[in-house]
Amino acid sequence: MAFKGRKVSGRSLALLGLGIAALLVLVWGGDALSWARDNRVVLVQALVTGLLLGGVYSLVSMGLTLIFGVLDILNFAHGAFMALAMYASFVLVANAGFDPYLSLLVSVPLLFVLGVLVQRVLLARVMDQPHENQLLLTFGLALLIENALLMVFTATPRTVDFPYAQTGIPLGFATVRGPLDVFGAVADLPRVIAFLGSLVIAGGLFYLLRRTSLGTAIRAVAENPDGAAMVGIDVRRMHMIAFGLGTACVAAAGTLVLPFLSLQPTTGEQFNVIAFVVVVLGGLGNVVGALVGGILIGLVQELGGAFVPGVDKLFFVFVVFVLTLLLRPQGLFGGKP
Amino acid sequence: MGALRRFDRDLLVLAAGVLVLIPVPLFLSGFLLEVAIQTLLFGLLGVAWNLMGGFAGQFSFGHAAFFGIGAYATAVAVTDYGLSPWVGMLLGAALAAAFGVLVGFLSFRYGLKGVFFALATFAFAEMLRLISRSLEAVNAARGYNIPIRSGNPWLTLQFPQGSPNYYYVILALLALSLLAVILLMRSRAGTFILSIRENEDAAAALGVNPMRYKLLAVALSAALTAVGGAFYVQYFFFIDPELAFGASVSIQILLPAIVGGIGTTWGPVVGSLIITVLGQGSTALVRTPPPFLEALQGTSGLDVAIYGALIVLVVLFLPRGVFGTLRERLGAA
Amino acid sequence: MRTRVQATLLMVAAALVVVACGGGGGASQGGSETIKIGSLHPLTGPLAVDGKRMDQAVKMAVEDINKAGGIEALDGAKLEVISGDTRGEPETASSEAQRMIDEGAVALVGPYTSATAATIARTAERSQVPFIIDVATADSILAQGYRYTFRIQPGSQTMGEYGARYLKEISEAQGSPVESVAYIHESSEFGTSVFEAFQKEAQRLGIEVVREITYDALNVSDLTSELTQAKAADADVIVATGYYRDGLLLAQAAANVKPDVKAVYGVANGAFDLDTFPEDAGDNGNYYLSSNYHYDATSDRARKLRQRFEERTGESMRTAAVFSYQAVEVIADALERAGSSEPQELRDAIAETSLQTELFPFDGPIEFDDRGQNVNAQPIVMQVQDGEVVQVYPEKYAQEEPIFPATPWSEGR
Repeated sequence: MAFKGRKVSGRSLALLGLGIAALLVLVWGGDALSWARDNRVVLVQALVTGLLLGGVYSLVSMGLTLIFGVLDILNFAHGAFMALAMYASFVLVANAGFDPYLSLLVSVPLLFVLGVLVQRVLLARVMDQPHENQLLLTFGLALLIENALLMVFTATPRTVDFPYAQTGIPLGFATVRGPLDVFGAVADLPRVIAFLGSLVIAGGLFYLLRRTSLGTAIRAVAENPDGAAMVGIDVRRMHMIAFGLGTACVAAAGTLVLPFLSLQPTTGEQFNVIAFVVVVLGGLGNVVGALVGGILIGLVQELGGAFVPGVDKLFFVFVVFVLTLLLRPQGLFGGKP
Repeated sequence: MGALRRFDRDLLVLAAGVLVLIPVPLFLSGFLLEVAIQTLLFGLLGVAWNLMGGFAGQFSFGHAAFFGIGAYATAVAVTDYGLSPWVGMLLGAALAAAFGVLVGFLSFRYGLKGVFFALATFAFAEMLRLISRSLEAVNAARGYNIPIRSGNPWLTLQFPQGSPNYYYVILALLALSLLAVILLMRSRAGTFILSIRENEDAAAALGVNPMRYKLLAVALSAALTAVGGAFYVQYFFFIDPELAFGASVSIQILLPAIVGGIGTTWGPVVGSLIITVLGQGSTALVRTPPPFLEALQGTSGLDVAIYGALIVLVVLFLPRGVFGTLRERLGAA
Repeated sequence: MRTRVQATLLMVAAALVVVACGGGGGASQGGSETIKIGSLHPLTGPLAVDGKRMDQAVKMAVEDINKAGGIEALDGAKLEVISGDTRGEPETASSEAQRMIDEGAVALVGPYTSATAATIARTAERSQVPFIIDVATADSILAQGYRYTFRIQPGSQTMGEYGARYLKEISEAQGSPVESVAYIHESSEFGTSVFEAFQKEAQRLGIEVVREITYDALNVSDLTSELTQAKAADADVIVATGYYRDGLLLAQAAANVKPDVKAVYGVANGAFDLDTFPEDAGDNGNYYLSSNYHYDATSDRARKLRQRFEERTGESMRTAAVFSYQAVEVIADALERAGSSEPQELRDAIAETSLQTELFPFDGPIEFDDRGQNVNAQPIVMQVQDGEVVQVYPEKYAQEEPIFPATPWSEGR
């Protein structure tokens, strides 16, 4: 999975970016500025929405980048695991009256264990095989999980109420009531919580990977499996833990978005593609990269949609994606060229 | 001497296979014939994909781009310009090949390999989907309905419902594609392509131009895929951006080769057959289950769940694909 | 390793056997007395919610007709359903349709999406078997000159047209005429064609579409930006066309953005008039209007039918399923008049249909024009009031008065 032969250095990239920006300003400058002034609210909202959306993307992608970085697997079943976690939370909320955020205590460990099992029983067997087999395996797994969910829960969309919609969130000194006003734009409270959640999880993962011995072992396995084995690291165990962490992350993502997205067996699917883009943009295996990448993609999507209304928002995302692949495939935070 | 024998053997197998498959419409009709036609179509697409993804080692996740170009070229040619679908097919193949060379050139020039290359192909397919969705010139999101034409059915490529001629057309296209692939891979160019897959640097050091031969494989793969797309439009009479360029199309195209045996000549065809059997089998099982499984009848999602489980099992126990594993087991050269 | 390979190959072989049996057994010999009707709906995949119920509605209709004595004109011959799963895929829909025709289906009912309808229509046309569309909005299907395809529901064009007309009429009747709208719609063929029909009629009626905002229904997870753009457009009313999931997102975003509009008005909207919408959207969906196809809630027959359906299946009978039920009744009625179950003769009888329906708020009987479209099909307007979806316009079918202007965040009544 190498990417050699890149002809573009960081500096030329920056110069290129500056050049394009200068050109745009020259050509549209005057018009753009006045448009921006007239549509200030729309722009600010696009910024805010993009940020919050980006938070969701980051959440979903963090687990994927871990799996991708350590195990080198294109996990097609990522969205399916997310849906699974969401249903687990839903069951707790609907049947046992749990606070959806409390259900994190169940959905995250549950998916961690499940991820470990999946890696141990299924994926470990295909680790030495060509990528396409792993791909096919996760693909089949995705079909299996999604349709098992369909069988049990049917396709009826489920919703979970945000428990603090009326009451607000008590924070000791004040009660935060949604939606928040951000310079004239609105920020939905549950989405803000999801955004904060992504920061917390990113921080947690960063700490785990950089400051603990477990994290170091995982990173060693990611970088050099043979070398790691030679130093006595149990590579298989690290694989299991890494995959488990990946699914645990996406479980957190799922539970955090449950209060504002409706749930069907295929709900996770819509994030699969964006997650891949974010992971590439951020750099494989780089958790901070996934955070920054996710937010960037959210911003690109919403700002693109605000500036150029007629075009599908995803288009901008893919343009960024292609440019990243061509000019800097190791991603923003990826390692050496 | 051994290579020559294999070359002959492949051609013999192809000829024998075609001969065996010709009388099929005498035994199958209606539903099963349609299933057979769809199987052959995906066999064709799989063979096309396998040329690039298997033999040339450039795993593509965006073959829908070529499929869609072929489909749209035909749809536009037939509906907007009243041309024969064969013209559309040729046009589509040429356009797809050109697009493939463009995408390939960009990607290879920037050194994309493996997963990154695959993702790039996916991105290009998605961009085509998004563009076609808003481009009024190709009917935007509405897509194309192929009008029913009168006139020589072989020129308009429209036969009565359930006519075996559709079967013969796709069988011929599949056979020709296999022929093209076999001939290419046995030629000097084919050897170069394989050597590039095995070790690009070594091949380059020996004087083989990697870019040229990789692009050759891409171009031919794209053209053949477009031919499949053209047939699809003529057979189903309908195309829209999602059906042409969607991600699920790309996945459907690459599945046969992986299931059957990537990088083998017959893998994609065998794979397409297996997938059909697995898919139809699980659906039939849920529709009319044997007595001890009656409780499951009609449960929504069970058949696809079974299909997914079967795919997982195939990967776990037949890692070289069904054909690949068989070939290994039987110790074929 | 060897045994595993053998085991897998054995499984594959077993699957082959099952297919062979399934294919062979399906062509049931003992069905010479029954008249087979094919039911083609998405039973798996994201659309299965309605697909499953529509299939169940077909089965229920067949049962009801059989219990009432079957087809009298054919000596009490009974109907039988062959169910198929299209998975929402046109290729699967095509082969499933073919399968049913092979197994002796004399008519097909389905399929819920326009893409699958296109391939089934072609199969039906070329096999000369009548196909009655219960739900599929694209007008292009019926523009192909097919003789064997019929549709009971109003198409995109009708929906858009009536939507504009109803909006004008309601707003004027309530003393607050609408002069401008901001239209938010999903970007595929569905949303676009309804929008275009709406815009054309609105222009004729003196209503200006000041802003068109589109989004991709499959990938969207937040509509706040879109609603902000709608707010900035400063229109009288926000019109929305989309599916269920995005309908919920729209209600959510609108409640946050609080655009200064007289109402949120759905046209052919897949969310606003569903009975689960008030619960799923909560207070955010209050006063939402919806001009859409709908079963007639003021009709006793419809009410009883839906009750029975719910008792039988545990699921509520949505409009789509009622269309499926109606489709079977159209076929039965045609069988009676044709006095034959020959598909071609059945088709001719269907073309002559003039069937009064109490299930739908149509101003006339079900009658098909030469394209196969039911000429008397029309949408009506619903509104969410007090957590319930009620019919409010035209007066003939109204259960309550429309509350206009009103939005969940305004100082309305």
